[in-house]
Amino acid sequence: MTEDIRALTARLAEEPGSLAFLELAEALRRRGQLEPAYKVARGGLTRYPSLADAHDLMARVLSDQGDLAGAFEAWTSALQLDPMRTSALKGIAFLYYRAGDAGAAVAHLERALEVEPDDASIRQALVRLGPEARRAHRDAPGTGEAAAAAPPDGPADWGRDPGRGTSRREDTAAAAAAPPPAGPAGPFGAVGAEAGLLLVDTGGMRLGGRLEGDETAAGDRVAAQLAGVSREAARATRLLGLGTWEVIAVESPDGHLALAPATADTVVLAARPTTLPVGRVMLLAERAARAAAEWLERQT
Amino acid sequence: MKALEPWVAAPLETFLAESAARLALIMTSSGQVVAQHGFGRSLDVMTAAALGAGIVASTEELARLMGAARFEALVHNGQRQSCLLAGFTTPRGRWIGLVVFGPETSVGLVRLFFDQMVGQLAVAAPREPATAPPLAEHFETELNASLKALFGR
Amino acid sequence: MTATQTALDRVTRVPGVRGALVVAAADGLVVADQLMDGVDGQAAAALAGSLVGRLARTAESAGLRPPAFIQLRGASGSVLAAPGPDDLVLVAVVGPEANLGLARLEMIGAAGRLA
Repeated sequence: MTEDIRALTARLAEEPGSLAFLELAEALRRRGQLEPAYKVARGGLTRYPSLADAHDLMARVLSDQGDLAGAFEAWTSALQLDPMRTSALKGIAFLYYRAGDAGAAVAHLERALEVEPDDASIRQALVRLGPEARRAHRDAPGTGEAAAAAPPDGPADWGRDPGRGTSRREDTAAAAAAPPPAGPAGPFGAVGAEAGLLLVDTGGMRLGGRLEGDETAAGDRVAAQLAGVSREAARATRLLGLGTWEVIAVESPDGHLALAPATADTVVLAARPTTLPVGRVMLLAERAARAAAEWLERQT
Repeated sequence: MKALEPWVAAPLETFLAESAARLALIMTSSGQVVAQHGFGRSLDVMTAAALGAGIVASTEELARLMGAARFEALVHNGQRQSCLLAGFTTPRGRWIGLVVFGPETSVGLVRLFFDQMVGQLAVAAPREPATAPPLAEHFETELNASLKALFGR
Repeated sequence: MTATQTALDRVTRVPGVRGALVVAAADGLVVADQLMDGVDGQAAAALAGSLVGRLARTAESAGLRPPAFIQLRGASGSVLAAPGPDDLVLVAVVGPEANLGLARLEMIGAAGRLA
């Protein structure tokens, strides 16, 4: 056992509730110690089920173990928690590429590039896939953000890890085949996550979305508080010479909120745990607002 | 919202919308009502105008005695509602604003948009002088005429 | 130098900050300020105070504790707010070129010492 793994193991033993499991499992994975890496990652995921990093980590471990369906599911979960997580987009692209679906791989890489335009590795991957794959992606029906955001099922020829069967994640196959939680029909379909997103009108009425773990009550209360917030934000930026308002970020010790205008009469709220940096929550709100604006236009 | 002088209406409407004030009364320094919003009875507006003009006159005199500049505004903070009373200069002479507001807004917002309204009134005021400055002997007649216009009775 | 002045000094030293104020949140009135020409302190205090109040209620409705930091970003700059004790809020008006990360850290640190 190398020194850093020993130190990380000791740290995790001292503070089982800490995030040291992320570093430890990754260090184990990099050394090819996949089974211990899986156990550490699983323990962390049990403690932090809403932590996108934990799902991302689990996906990397499962991918290395050859459990591609499990990896796909874990990266999809990471994307639902953090729709702009480029590591998950790249991971899913890699899985599609391995399964021979270059068009879907391109779709995910292009979305990753949109989030991080300076990431050279994404550009290189797109170059490697070649112009034919990119053309195939553009010509394919259903391409675009919605397709890239939440694939309805995984690549067709993934086999289960024969040594594990379905015991590791019993519902993996069902989850991979099931439609994503927010289909393109919802206001945030193109973002790939409905939970933790609200679309609210100027009167404080909820038009779509929900808060995490809550169907209506808290979401409606929050929506009511947001009545007129867009007008107030617009007034503040106008009177202070700051132009049109773009986004509001609220950092609480318990979570991050971000608001962005979808249309003149509606606003989108994104709510995420503090494990997701507030800058990312702001980007998520802006992206969700664009998706909601398109959805609203389709409704009229 | 009712205004005796039509050019007062738009700035006052904007003020009401932005500040979320509950009641507003614009009057001359002699207590002649120019516009009002939210008052239900003529007696209330008459009393408020008289008291407001009296308070502003008293505080301005107090400031003069103390050798201080004019008080910009008086704010009475209440549990359920608060009141702002401020004199201001217009092309038509010295006017007074009386504003009642609740916890749904703040004194800062009321002051901010009150000051904006004063600026807008200065711009919107007709250039020609007022037709007849209020005179003491006409006060009651004018007051009654104003109240009739403001309350439609 | 008072805690309020220290807080304003720390924030206004950050590149891109056009002005900083300590605001009585409930009243939306300026308690102290250090502003560049062209920044309307009265407006910043009133508007930021109101917005902070509304967003604190929103956070409460979502089951969250009161915000430690708020940013309203416009096309040409931002308003930053860090609530402190005694209903005071440290507010900054910043240009689009401002170092937001540094301003945020300075404001959160300084707001805790307002009194």
